[in-house]
Amino acid sequence: MTAALEEIAGLLAVCIGTAALIAGALALAVTHRPSLALSVFLDLLLAAGLLRLVGDPGWQAIVTVASIVVLRRLIGVGLRVGGRAWSSSGGGSGTRVGPLRSSAVARLVRPAWRS
Amino acid sequence: MEELLADIVGVLVTVVEACGAAIVITGAVWAFARFLWVGLRRRTTEAFVPVRLTLGRFLLLGLEFQLASDVLRTAVAPSFEELGLLAAVAAIRTALNYFLSREIADERRQVAEQEETGSAVDVTADEHRRRSA
Repeated sequence: MTAALEEIAGLLAVCIGTAALIAGALALAVTHRPSLALSVFLDLLLAAGLLRLVGDPGWQAIVTVASIVVLRRLIGVGLRVGGRAWSSSGGGSGTRVGPLRSSAVARLVRPAWRS
Repeated sequence: MEELLADIVGVLVTVVEACGAAIVITGAVWAFARFLWVGLRRRTTEAFVPVRLTLGRFLLLGLEFQLASDVLRTAVAPSFEELGLLAAVAAIRTALNYFLSREIADERRQVAEQEETGSAVDVTADEHRRRSA
């Protein structure tokens, strides 16, 4: 009974993984926002991972799901930090790097007695 | 007696895990259908957020069932290897439960803030229209 449940859950996990790819690609194509598309993709991938844990999973399944969870957190934190820096600079792609770099260079070049 | 207990626990674990899996599958299928609908019809970023929130709730509920099955399994866990696996799975599920509930709370707060700003903008726009009229 558990083996049948595991088999069905594994099959459905593959289906949901495919659905995650489709939904993520659609979200990216429609909104042009990679962070949102990635969130959609990882949400559905997490559902697939949870299904893989049904029954008596081996160490490989456990490590896979754990790495998905850690990856999710890492990417989420990275995107949030990146987005905050992007919005706080208040401009497009050209304005973000320039002032930061120029101020850093000015701070390095300026003599200590002038600060 | 012990064998009978193990049999009963085994059946209960299977039933509870099947319930959790059914909830996760239902949520994933529903969310996929909604993602397709939102992507093809509404085409806005904001429309994706409620669907993600609902999927998160489904996943949380499914996780609760799976954690319940883990608790049931601790009633009968013969070998040290099985206990290690059980501990790892329970730790992953508990961590997921924690992170998912935090994410849901964050997203809900963001949606509420966006709604508040939206309504504030609407109010000022209405006032401006009235004054100009």
